[in-house]
Amino acid sequence: MKIEIIKENLKNGLSIVERIVGRNTSLPILNNVYINTEDSYLILISTDLETAIKLWILTKIIKKGKVAVPAKLLSNFTSSLPNEKITIEEKNQNLSIECKNITTQIQGCNPDDFPIIPEIKSEEYLEVDVIKFCQGLNQVIDVPAPSQSRPEISGIYFSFSKNNIKMAATDSFRLAEKNIRLEKTIKKEYSFILPQKPAREIMNILEGRQGLLKIGMSQNQALFELTFKEVDRPEIQITSRLIEGEYPNYTEIIPTKFKTQVVIKRDEFLNQIKTASFFSGKVNEVKVLVNPEKKEVQISAKSSDVGHHQSNVAANIQGEVIEVSFNYKYLMDGLQNIKGSEIMFDISKEEGPCLLRPVGDASYLYVVMPIKSI
Amino acid sequence: MENNELWRAVLAQMQLHISKANFATWFQNTDITLKDNERVVISVPNAFSKEWLSNKYYKLLLKTMHNMDHTIKDLEFTISPQSFKVSRLENSLESEKNDIEQLKFDEFKINKDTSLNPKYTFENFVVGSFNELAYAAGLAVSENPGHAYNPLFIYGGVGLGKTHLIQAVGNKIADDSRKKKVKYMASEKLVSAIVTAIRSNTMEAFKASLAHIDVLIIDDIQFIAGKNKSQEEFFHVFNSLYEKNKQIILSSDRPPNAIPELEERLRSRLGGGMTIDVSLPDYETRLAILKTKLQEKNLKLPEDILEYIASNVKKNVRELEGALNSLLIYYKTNNNIPNLETAKRLLKGFIFSPFDVANYKKIIEMVSKFYNLEEKNLFDTTRRKEIVKPRQVAMFLLRKELKYSFPAIARKFGGKDHTTVIYAYKKILQESEENSKLTEELNIIKQRIYSG
Repeated sequence: MKIEIIKENLKNGLSIVERIVGRNTSLPILNNVYINTEDSYLILISTDLETAIKLWILTKIIKKGKVAVPAKLLSNFTSSLPNEKITIEEKNQNLSIECKNITTQIQGCNPDDFPIIPEIKSEEYLEVDVIKFCQGLNQVIDVPAPSQSRPEISGIYFSFSKNNIKMAATDSFRLAEKNIRLEKTIKKEYSFILPQKPAREIMNILEGRQGLLKIGMSQNQALFELTFKEVDRPEIQITSRLIEGEYPNYTEIIPTKFKTQVVIKRDEFLNQIKTASFFSGKVNEVKVLVNPEKKEVQISAKSSDVGHHQSNVAANIQGEVIEVSFNYKYLMDGLQNIKGSEIMFDISKEEGPCLLRPVGDASYLYVVMPIKSI
Repeated sequence: MENNELWRAVLAQMQLHISKANFATWFQNTDITLKDNERVVISVPNAFSKEWLSNKYYKLLLKTMHNMDHTIKDLEFTISPQSFKVSRLENSLESEKNDIEQLKFDEFKINKDTSLNPKYTFENFVVGSFNELAYAAGLAVSENPGHAYNPLFIYGGVGLGKTHLIQAVGNKIADDSRKKKVKYMASEKLVSAIVTAIRSNTMEAFKASLAHIDVLIIDDIQFIAGKNKSQEEFFHVFNSLYEKNKQIILSSDRPPNAIPELEERLRSRLGGGMTIDVSLPDYETRLAILKTKLQEKNLKLPEDILEYIASNVKKNVRELEGALNSLLIYYKTNNNIPNLETAKRLLKGFIFSPFDVANYKKIIEMVSKFYNLEEKNLFDTTRRKEIVKPRQVAMFLLRKELKYSFPAIARKFGGKDHTTVIYAYKKILQESEENSKLTEELNIIKQRIYSG
């Protein structure tokens, strides 16, 4: 293999594929990036046997070939090179790099030992705007918690039907759901559970990019693919293992009857909860007292070691007087995920689930369970 | 050669040909799932292993296997993801961490396949004289489902542990290695499932979904009363399961023959196995229950407070727990253990509940309601049999439950002679000892009076 490539292009590519390269001691080949050529493209591949990233870079290919070299080393080394054209050549499984007046040789491994990335044969590919997808995913990504006993809720649930994607996540204390419109209507309904870690990687890798994201799936894997803007050819492919199991029927959790409904300014509410959190004590408890007569929401917290705090926020309220306690972290997470200046904060009952939604945007909702009131 | 023996032999050979790291990575959690004539299907944990084995080791594997068994000519790989094994210990650790303060979505605690709540087990079921028969029957059923007592019918008042017991039976069977399929349903769920099935014309599918169940548990079956279509469908489900020797467990607040508006054929079937009642716990058992609950919550309260709760909260176990919780919350907020005085103050609500006290009006109301009479009929001066008996029952209850004097009762009933009341009291008392139907009637009326 012999190629000529611009330093920036190689650096950017490597910085993406090295994300999932960990320190794998049981199978050292996984610490490598697999470099291959195809037409006039250089292909970079990395995997941790759960997720795989495949990346194409437009390059001048002089001689075809393949090589596997340590990913972190190559990435760090490339970053340190001057911003010039680089010539890369494979010699007996090793990689020699020439750039301006630098010559380097990096020891590689046998590329045939590198795992084969499973192909995904999807019945249908779904298309979604990548910016919307990343924003939506960002609103649910932090909700799941690793759970040994219930692996299915440790991931993000994707459900596709007609022209809609539903993304849902829960850790059994709170639940977030986001709806995104698909670019074109699909024929069948699909759903899968994506583990949280690859979901995060996908979000980070695709953030700031533009175009259409193609999503495909087979029995145990999902594929996320972004194509080049200029040519119809994949630029990035991320495949991931899926979590087996059936996602709980979470729609049952979303309350529909409410004792009290509040419309409140998001920033103010969020700030006051943050302030109260300093006094929340060990259990992170912040009390929210909704008073329809005074048209205000009182936020208070007290801790025997620190002191106590109370503040009022004006709000539009319908329903009864009610007091609910929350773990402020869960409440703040929800508020931070909501985009919009005003939110609807609906309380079903004492010790019952509460619903947070942005005013005028039906695509997002966040359900949170309170703390047992004392 | 057995499949797993064959695979072990293959693995032993493969080890010699490939590096340890490769072996550990690619052959972990692999197995032979199927072997027919010339073809062997090997299950692998993920798509990477599948690609690798079928691309890199196919020839080597086939050669090795062919040497052992000449009939093998083809290999196939399927992905069967590792199911995460949940150990009970882990489960309990997780729940302990969360403590009791942060509330969870209730829907998540329940096992999806069986609808059972794992918190109900035999281990935390307190046995006393009032429920030991039911407990023993439950245990017998869980050890030998379908054969010991079928159907097992457990009845008793509110909050006495019926649900706990039948769910414990279910949980024990579901945990068993024999892999029996258990399904728990509240009767309301059953009725609504039947209604949906009728509406959407999917009755067959509904029945088919219940056909493969080994143990069917229906809670509060009395709510099926008066719902004829549901009764009919349930009757068929019951029959088909019963014929196949599948265990059926039911609970109700009264025995089958006291459930009104129940079709005769269903009534006789419900009572056809073992019918056992759970009654009110005695003092010692109440104390034992309190101690078990405290242990679950990992807290301690002084003995005198526990004794106070046990001797004052008598009617049901759920209230015992409620009383305990209110003390625990006090303990949490104030960070000191309540003394007896505080406990008395905190528990006022539990001990003197306004709904809990029987009174004259309530007794008259419940008795007349039970016998389908108007309240004023009870006071008619008549010797019609259908009125005389309810009147005697009312007199008996006024005497027994409210400790009214005989002359006072006589005055209430339109100036009868007090000896009439004494006669009525003695008659009912004697008859209730001889006639179990009357005892049952009295129990139900009493229960309604006290449950408000």
